Amino acid sequence: MGSALRLNHVSKRYGDCISVRDASFEAVPGRIHAVCGENGAGKSTLLKMAAGLVVPDSGSVQIDGIELSPHSPGAAIHRGVGMVVQHFSLIGALTVLENVVLGSEPVGMLGRLQLGAARERVKAIAGELGVTLPLDSPADELGVGDKQRLEIVRCLYRDAKMLILDEPTAVLTPDEARALYAMLRKLADAGTTVVVVTHKLDEVRAYCDEATVMRKGEVIFSRVLVEGERESIIQEITKSVMGDHAATSPASRSERGSSRPSLAVRDLRVGRGLAGVSFEVAVGEVVGIAGVEGNGQRELVDTLAGLQAPDGGRISLEGIEREEARLRELVAVVFEDRQREGLVLGASIENNVLLGDLSTFSRWGWLDTKRMHLEATARVASVGAPQRLSEDVRSLSGGNQQKVVVARALAHVRAGAKVLVLSHPTRGVDLGARAAIWELIREAKRDIGVVVVSSDLDELKALSDRLLVMSRGAVVATFPPSASDEELGRAMLGVGGAE
Amino acid sequence: MSRTTLFRSLVVFAIVGFAFDALVLGYGESPAKIVGLLFEGTWGSAYGLGQVLFKATPLLFAGVAIRIALRGGLFNIGAEGQIAVASLAAGVVGTHLGGVPSFVALPIVVCVASAGGALTAAVPAVLKSRFGVHEVISSIMMNRIVDAGLGLVLASGVALAGTVRTADVAESARLSRIGDLVPAFRGSALSTAFFLAVAAAVLFARASEGTRIGREIGLVGTAPEACRRAGIDVKGRLMQAFVASGAVCGLASLATVLGYKGYFEQGLGAGAGFIGLAVALMGKNSPFGMLAAAILFGTLQQGGLAINAYVPKELMDIMVGVTICAVTGAEALALYGSNTAKRSVAT
Repeated sequence: MGSALRLNHVSKRYGDCISVRDASFEAVPGRIHAVCGENGAGKSTLLKMAAGLVVPDSGSVQIDGIELSPHSPGAAIHRGVGMVVQHFSLIGALTVLENVVLGSEPVGMLGRLQLGAARERVKAIAGELGVTLPLDSPADELGVGDKQRLEIVRCLYRDAKMLILDEPTAVLTPDEARALYAMLRKLADAGTTVVVVTHKLDEVRAYCDEATVMRKGEVIFSRVLVEGERESIIQEITKSVMGDHAATSPASRSERGSSRPSLAVRDLRVGRGLAGVSFEVAVGEVVGIAGVEGNGQRELVDTLAGLQAPDGGRISLEGIEREEARLRELVAVVFEDRQREGLVLGASIENNVLLGDLSTFSRWGWLDTKRMHLEATARVASVGAPQRLSEDVRSLSGGNQQKVVVARALAHVRAGAKVLVLSHPTRGVDLGARAAIWELIREAKRDIGVVVVSSDLDELKALSDRLLVMSRGAVVATFPPSASDEELGRAMLGVGGAE
Repeated sequence: MSRTTLFRSLVVFAIVGFAFDALVLGYGESPAKIVGLLFEGTWGSAYGLGQVLFKATPLLFAGVAIRIALRGGLFNIGAEGQIAVASLAAGVVGTHLGGVPSFVALPIVVCVASAGGALTAAVPAVLKSRFGVHEVISSIMMNRIVDAGLGLVLASGVALAGTVRTADVAESARLSRIGDLVPAFRGSALSTAFFLAVAAAVLFARASEGTRIGREIGLVGTAPEACRRAGIDVKGRLMQAFVASGAVCGLASLATVLGYKGYFEQGLGAGAGFIGLAVALMGKNSPFGMLAAAILFGTLQQGGLAINAYVPKELMDIMVGVTICAVTGAEALALYGSNTAKRSVAT
């Protein structure tokens, strides 16, 4: 029989950033329980607490009604919690069998390793699951799917009664994902508690029994996916994952797109991420890209930015096909993760607002600091961020930090970029800054085409002239901004959609 | 001085003092007497002071050099090897500059020395940027290679027969001794190299913020991903930082080969690359901080000679180690203290 997991009012903060706030969660044996939410919603942190990998600042973790103590990975394993993390914890040079027994090696006299009995048990476990693993090959030589199966076998070898998987299908093909869920179903039927962290809602709909939604570190709600009500519950989940951020200013779509092309993407392909994306953006037009996260949006932005070489397809700017290297100058980009990809935390606001543009201020290698100061002042003023140029950019609020990033992109537009691409331009930003950034985007589109990638439907509707929905690396539907959340949600999950 | 700095200084002073007393007492000598000798032999006379500054010179060069790499997030533990190659190069080229006027010969040897350091550093730099080899591993290995290679080169005819030293560097390619200008310093090995080292430290501070490369190295060292996405050539900047670090390391040979011995011999200037790490860590990004740290370690090194008659001079080597441990330990302690204070406020 599996064991019931209960997290009571747990919280965790990292520095000033609250990762999980007063969250309670319960999973029961015999069911597959999905935990959904955007990136950074706190899903992984929540479940790492259950596996003893993260110690909560407050609150408690109970397994079968008994508190987990001491709060350590060893204690959690002992109590039957097995976790498969996103980045596998295998030792590549050891064989599959050695990896399975790692940490609980069967030893005989004088600590000699005795793998014989272990081999039989591992074979039995694998046989029950219906998988075959090459026990004597190095773990390095396994494919991703096999590595994941190995991790699961390892948990079961340690008598796990509860299995927690963090984004298990992020690295799998659809067929592998189907096989994984079939395996998980078997385990659940045998009484194991299964918890899956995912942001793919179609998986939740197809395979899970219960779902918990997290947003901004809080548990929003938990639901049992009762047959018959499945669709409506999934709709509810879709809405709450996307968030119901209050729309501040009504869309003021003054000029529609002209007929001048700004950006044209033809059959763009990148590895697993993009499976032939095509769309066009005209000067004066904002094209919004909606979709459940992890459906190729990231790869699309990186490819447009010239950071990722496409495997196939073409990108044209103002009608001229461009190579990767030229895209870096001709496409102004605001990346998704402001703190990691947009800013140098610890450096001054001035350094951040001019990041990457120092060549224009350099003579004989020395910088014209007076001119830099003027330019930085102008850039900061253009977005209405505080003029504390020499202070650490960390001293700014999230909204003002984002304005600094946007100011840099807008300067690139003035310097001759042909298209502006923004990924999640107002994520984690206060309402005032959100309205201000929206206004800046609307102004920018006068002379240029704009692409906005976001998981916030209100934002996309407020900004876009046209909405594209991406799913599994392709544009699957196009909508006018007046489309309803339900229509969009269905298209995101791959259930039909209007063209 | 803030309260934490004061607290930190007191901790360091207490640890260093306790260790010193314990060691000296262990040898059956009086700490007060040894401290007196120590002071007399270093700051007590113009000669002693000159020797302190002489010993501080390569440490300052190495400290500045290591700091350059550190700003880019790289740890140049290969300073030893870079200094050794530069010293040999300066020594060998210097012997061939007889008859060349000083204003030509000096720039040549300075360039040769920094080129020697730069080339040695280029090996780990290229390994890092092309293949992702960790610079600490490859530069430690470079130190070994240089150590063995140097002996080989010296033995294969570069050294004077029967010795491990090169021929004398031409008079015009040497740096002048301060003792020749200010009689009080006569006999000490203090040369104009000291002022070049101070100039290098000041120039480093100016260039860190004032040049494009300097600023970008610092930004790349803080947040490489954001820099890459902003179009900065991250790998290139890191490579440049490491090679520049090697070039400045090479200048440490100015104090030893060109300002002191007038030739290169095996082992000359050894150890400066390691104490330079401590200078860089203690001095942070401030040229004055690094100068102070270099002078502190210069004092301890020179002090060893002054007390050698009563206690072994290795005692001062121990003190160098104790000081480094105490300073870095106190820093970590203060950091830990401020973090826990913050945490208790936050929750």
